[in-house]
Amino acid sequence: MDFAQILQHLNVIFRELWQRKFLVLIGFALISFTVLVVGMLWPSKFETSATIYADNQNILGPLLEKQARQSKVTDQTKVVREKIYSPSLLSKVAEDVFGSAVQETPEALAQFINQLRESLKVKSLGSGYMVLEFSSNDAIVAYEGLNSIIDNFISISSEEQRTESREAFLFIDNQVKQYKDQLVSAENNLKEFTTQNFDGRDTDVSSSIQRIRNQIEELKLSIDEDEITMRALQEQITGEAEFAATTKKVDSYALRLAELESRLSNLLLSFTEDYPDVITLRYQIEDLKRSMRAAATDRVAEQAELKVQGEPRQLEGGSGVLLNPLYQELRSRISNVETSIKAKQKRLSVLSGLLENEFERRQRVAERGVVEAELVRDYDVTKKIYEDMLERKEKARLSMTLNIEGQGVTYRIQEPPLPPLRPTGLRFIHFVLVGPLVALFAVFGIAGAYVLVDPRIRFSSRIYAFGIPVLAVIPHVNTPLTQRLRRSDMILCSVLAVAIFAVYGGLALAHRSGVLL
Amino acid sequence: MSSSNLESAKGDKGSRTKPAVSESNPRIDHMEEVDQFTEQELEARKLIYPGMHSPKVVNVFRELRTQLLQLQKKKNFVCMISSVSSDGGCSYVTQNLASVFALDKSKTSLVIDANLYSPYAHQLIFGEAEIGITDYLSHPDLSIKDIVYATGVPRLRAIPLGSNSEGAAEYFESEKMLLFIDEVKHRYSDRYVFIDAPPVSSSSEARILAGLVDMVVLVVPHGRVTEDQIQIAIDVVGNERLAGLIYNN
Repeated sequence: MDFAQILQHLNVIFRELWQRKFLVLIGFALISFTVLVVGMLWPSKFETSATIYADNQNILGPLLEKQARQSKVTDQTKVVREKIYSPSLLSKVAEDVFGSAVQETPEALAQFINQLRESLKVKSLGSGYMVLEFSSNDAIVAYEGLNSIIDNFISISSEEQRTESREAFLFIDNQVKQYKDQLVSAENNLKEFTTQNFDGRDTDVSSSIQRIRNQIEELKLSIDEDEITMRALQEQITGEAEFAATTKKVDSYALRLAELESRLSNLLLSFTEDYPDVITLRYQIEDLKRSMRAAATDRVAEQAELKVQGEPRQLEGGSGVLLNPLYQELRSRISNVETSIKAKQKRLSVLSGLLENEFERRQRVAERGVVEAELVRDYDVTKKIYEDMLERKEKARLSMTLNIEGQGVTYRIQEPPLPPLRPTGLRFIHFVLVGPLVALFAVFGIAGAYVLVDPRIRFSSRIYAFGIPVLAVIPHVNTPLTQRLRRSDMILCSVLAVAIFAVYGGLALAHRSGVLL
Repeated sequence: MSSSNLESAKGDKGSRTKPAVSESNPRIDHMEEVDQFTEQELEARKLIYPGMHSPKVVNVFRELRTQLLQLQKKKNFVCMISSVSSDGGCSYVTQNLASVFALDKSKTSLVIDANLYSPYAHQLIFGEAEIGITDYLSHPDLSIKDIVYATGVPRLRAIPLGSNSEGAAEYFESEKMLLFIDEVKHRYSDRYVFIDAPPVSSSSEARILAGLVDMVVLVVPHGRVTEDQIQIAIDVVGNERLAGLIYNN
């Protein structure tokens, strides 16, 4: 739609309006007066606001890091909104603001709470700052209402925090006690078990078995050694005579022979072979040698005989009572070894018995080990949890103390509410000013819509669509008579319009000065 | 102007009372005229005249005259003007169209008021004008001269509706009507005849008259008719006779 078309439309609209000028004036007056009356009845709205600051950073924060859990809330606004809109808080506020009327019926209370909820807004300004806005029809109610809301909110939230952390502490404390009982019972179980268990541990048994085995090994080796010694000694002893007598006879021959031969040597130094002493000496030596051979032959025969008889012979008579010392020695050693072997064998059998016992003991220890492991596990787990809980308990105690001291999340009033001086929103003056404009637009709008919707032809351009030649478009002609009529109509309309505005302004002033409504 | 026209004009030269005028043609300037309208009278009757305050309207009608003449190859014709709906400014267009033809000193024009529901031709005529077209059609002893009246506009003649408007549809269908139209058209070759017909939408007369004339002009009034009504009117008149539409603000 270009500019020319808009002008054309406006022209047509004006023409339609002019055709119904009195109707238009009446409509205009009706609409503007309606707006005026609405403005008179429109409730004035007073709004006040306050800024509160949710402070969860305090001086103790860094000091107690990880030690005490401070109540930390990520979205403070959400929490504040939940708390402020809660019926419990709002019912208190309603009592403060509306007095005893609240308590008459539950419905009345609910209605008042709804009213408060609708007129209250919580907005976040970021980084812990929040704006509470409260509106009411009455300036004093708005101011007192917001004050009451903030007071109640702060007292309730701090009380809530205290109870919250106290409850947390009590809960953990209770838990700690329970775990302590569990721990004690686990300890008792373990103690009872250990007192009943004499077999000792698995490792004890193993080392004991090992030791016994070592001993047995050593013992066996020692026995073997003794037996070898025994056999060697017995061999030796068979080669030795019991007595040294026969040996004495031969030895005396040899001594005599050596004496004779040394005398012979001495004589030969000073005498010749022919010297009689020498010759005699030679004879004596020959005799002695013979006797010696004879004695040796006898001795061999005796030895053979001894072997056959197997027992020590009686000392030869007259051959001296000299016992063989080697033989004695060997005999005593053999008897020692024999005793040792017997003792060791006895010990070996005892050790074998002990080993058997140890094996049995090991079986028992393995069986009890399962039970013991279970008890120990119970004990360990309970102990660990108990220690953890103990630590938590201390944290909870600190948190509780923090909150009691008022060092947790606190709400401060950054900007207290002020009593509103002027109503906000639409005021009467707005309605007074807007009324005629609304009426004007409405009348024009209706006329425009009528022109658009009405199917009757108002634009010459539309009859070209029939395909019939359009011979002429005759402009509107005013005769002097119609012009006169039009002029008088115009004056009448102006007078009427002025009258409407006068009444309108009068009504507005009357309302303003409190005469009307 | 042909000499035969001159001859016939002489033969008809006037005999009747005051409104009846001499229709002699040899010198149109010497047509017997009654008093002419003053400017105030013209304005009051919404009649155009050359020195108007708003020449725009005169020019529109002049343009219209040119178009109609072109359509009829500059020969004289009988044109019916009708409105699509009642009170559509048909009479205004008819009288001014006739006036604009009459502005040309070589042309005369005749307005036949056949608008049964709102006759207006008496406004153009000084004095009484009781006898009109319906009387002529119903009384065999009346001649055309008896019903043609001079008007306050030079070279413009008018035939009023007359006093016998009941049964007009039947009169318009009669043979006499046909002869009448033929005669008024052919008597003078410089005479242009305009019939002001009732609205197409509310009468059968318009349809009847449309069958008698050379061409039809439909007046579309501002803000009174829908496209459907226009289409119906076009269909009633028929495409072959319809010269065109005039939009009347």
